[in-house]
Amino acid sequence: MRKRTLLLVLLLAMLCIGANAEEIKLTDFEGREVTLSKPAERIIVLMPGDCEILYALGAGDKLIGRGEYCNYPEEVLSVEAVKSGAEMNLEQVIELKPDLIIATKMAHTKESIEALDKAGIPSLVIDAQNIEGVYKAINLIGAACGKNEEAAKLIDDMKAGFKEVVDKVDGRSYGTVYFEVSPLQYGLWASGGGSFMDEIGNMLGLENVFASEGAWTQVSEEQVIAKNPDVIVTNAMYFGDGPTPIEEIMSRKGWENIKAIENGDVYNADTDSITRPGPRLIDAINDFYNFLYEEEAADKAA
Amino acid sequence: MDIKEGLSLKKHIILIIAVLISLFICISLGSVSIPIKETINIIWGLLLGKEPYGMYADILIHVRLPRVLSVMPVGAALSLAGAAMQGIIRNPLADGSTLGTSSGAALGAVIALSLGVWLPSFPVAGTVVFAIVFSFISLIIVLSLSYAVDKLLSNNTIILMGVIFSMFTSSFISLIMAFSGERLRSITFWTMGSLAGSNFNNVLLLLITLIIAGSALMLNARELNAFSLGEDEAMHIGVDVKKTKLIILVSVSFLIGVSVSVGGSIGFVGLIVPHTCRLLFGGNHFKLLPSCVYVGAIFLLFMDLIARTLVSPVELPIGVVTSFIGAISFVIIYYRRRKHAGT
Repeated sequence: MRKRTLLLVLLLAMLCIGANAEEIKLTDFEGREVTLSKPAERIIVLMPGDCEILYALGAGDKLIGRGEYCNYPEEVLSVEAVKSGAEMNLEQVIELKPDLIIATKMAHTKESIEALDKAGIPSLVIDAQNIEGVYKAINLIGAACGKNEEAAKLIDDMKAGFKEVVDKVDGRSYGTVYFEVSPLQYGLWASGGGSFMDEIGNMLGLENVFASEGAWTQVSEEQVIAKNPDVIVTNAMYFGDGPTPIEEIMSRKGWENIKAIENGDVYNADTDSITRPGPRLIDAINDFYNFLYEEEAADKAA
Repeated sequence: MDIKEGLSLKKHIILIIAVLISLFICISLGSVSIPIKETINIIWGLLLGKEPYGMYADILIHVRLPRVLSVMPVGAALSLAGAAMQGIIRNPLADGSTLGTSSGAALGAVIALSLGVWLPSFPVAGTVVFAIVFSFISLIIVLSLSYAVDKLLSNNTIILMGVIFSMFTSSFISLIMAFSGERLRSITFWTMGSLAGSNFNNVLLLLITLIIAGSALMLNARELNAFSLGEDEAMHIGVDVKKTKLIILVSVSFLIGVSVSVGGSIGFVGLIVPHTCRLLFGGNHFKLLPSCVYVGAIFLLFMDLIARTLVSPVELPIGVVTSFIGAISFVIIYYRRRKHAGT
C-alpha cells in the first residue's frame, strides 16, 4: 500500500512539475514581468522588426495579426492588419483572440497596455535601440513562442555575420558619413549617434558627422556643407516619378563641392533593412560594405 | 499720377539702404557661422562678376542667397496685399490671414500637391496656379458671405467669416492629407511654411508677380485713397468702383497666391507691416504702398533670420515666428484702436 501511495505521490509530483514546466516567465524591455502558461500560439505583432524576427525564428504561422507597416516577408501581407500606437483599436485586437501581443514603445500607449491586461491578454514591450537590444529581443520573442533554440541560432548567425564584415573591413577607416533620413524637400533630418545606421557605419570604419547629436536630428543645408562628409547615405524611398534620391542629392545647388558628391559616394540604403531592429540588419551592413569597399575599389581600379 | 504725393527721393534712398543693410545682416548669419570678412569677400567677388569658391561661398551663394532673395519679395507681396485689402474693405484688420485668403491659397496648393501636378523644370507651377485661383475664390466667398450677413461689413462680421472660412479650409486640408498616402509627407511639410530649399526660379516668379501686381495696385493708389471715404463717396468722385475693386482683388489674389505657394502659410505680415507704415508714413496710399514694399521685405528678412537661427539647427516654420510676434502686435494694435474709438 505504502509503495503505491509513494508511486502515486511521485507521479502526481511529476505531473505538477511537468505542468509547470511549460510555464514561461518573461521580463520585457520595460521591466514588466509577464508569465505565459504555455508558449504563445496566437500572436499579434505590431512592429515590422519584431515581425521579421518572428518569421526568422520559424514561428510565422503563429502570427494572427500584424501592424500596418509590417511588410516582410511577403507572407505577412496576408495576415490581418491592425492599427497600432495611439490609433490602436482594442476591440479589433481582442476580437482576434490573441494569447500574446508584441508591441514596442512607439506602438502602444500606457492605457492600451493596461486595457489589454484587464482583458487578460499578456503583452510584451520591446525597445531595441541597438544591436545588443536586437539580440535581447530575439531571445525574448523566442522564449515567448517556445523557439529558444532557434533564437540562439539566429543570434549566433547574426553575430557571425557582423564579425565577418568587421573582419573584412580589417580596421580600415573610410572617412566621415552623413546619414540623411529625410531629404531636402521634406525638411532635412539626419541620423546622429545611437541609431542602427550609426552603429553599422562605425563597424564599417565610418565616422558620423552628426555623432554628437541624437538618433534623429534636424539639420540645415549649411551644416552639411560645412561638415563636408566623405560619404552620404540616404534612405529615401523612390516611387518612380522624378529624379531618384541619389540624383536629387547630386543635383543640389551648393552641394557640388562636398567630397561625397565629387567622388560619387552617395549610397541609397534600403530603409526597411537598415532602420528596423531585426535580422535584416545583416543584409544592410553587407550591402553597404559592398558599396564602400567592393564597388568603389572596382570603380577606382577601372 | 501725381508723383509729388509719393515718397520723397530721400525717403526712397533711406529705405533702400535699410533694405540692403538688413539683407547683408541676414546673409551673414545662419546656422553655420561665417566670419564677416569671408562674407564681405564673397559678396564683393560676386558683384565683380567673379565666381567665389569654397565651402563658405557654397553656403552663401547657393543656400542663403536664394533664400533671402525669396524672403524679401514674399514680405513685400504680403504687406502690399494687406495694405490694399485694408484700403478697399476699409477695415484695419483685413489681410490675407484674417480673411482666410491665405488658407484658401493653401488649400489650392495642397490639392495641387495631392494630385501631383508638376512640371519638371518648374515644379511649383501647378501649386502656384491652384493657389492663385483658390485665393481669388476665397476672397470672393468671404466678402460675399460677409456682405450678405452684414451690409456694413463691420469688423466683427468680416473677421468672423474669415476665421470660419480658415477653419473650413483647414479641415479640408486635413481631409486631403488623411487620404493622400505617399504624398502626405510633402503636404505636411509644405503646410508648415518654409523658405528652405529656395531656388532662383522662385525668386524670379516672385519678382515678376510683385512687379506686375504691385504696379497694378500703385496705379490705383488714388482710387484706394478715395475708397477710404466710402464706396458711394468714391463713386461720386468719379471712381469706377467695380473695376477698381476687381483689379485690386485680382492683384491681391496673385500676390497672396504666389507667396503662399512659395513660402507656405505666413500670417500677420499683412497686418503688422501696413500698420507700422501708416504710423511712419501716413495713410496716403501713394506713400503707404511703396513703403510697404520696403518695410515688408525688411520685416520678413528678420523673421526668417529668427526662424532659422533661434533654435539652430532646428528650423522654426516662419509662420510660427510671424504668428507669435504678429499675435502680440495684433492685440496691442486692436487694444489701442478700441481705446481710442471708445466703442
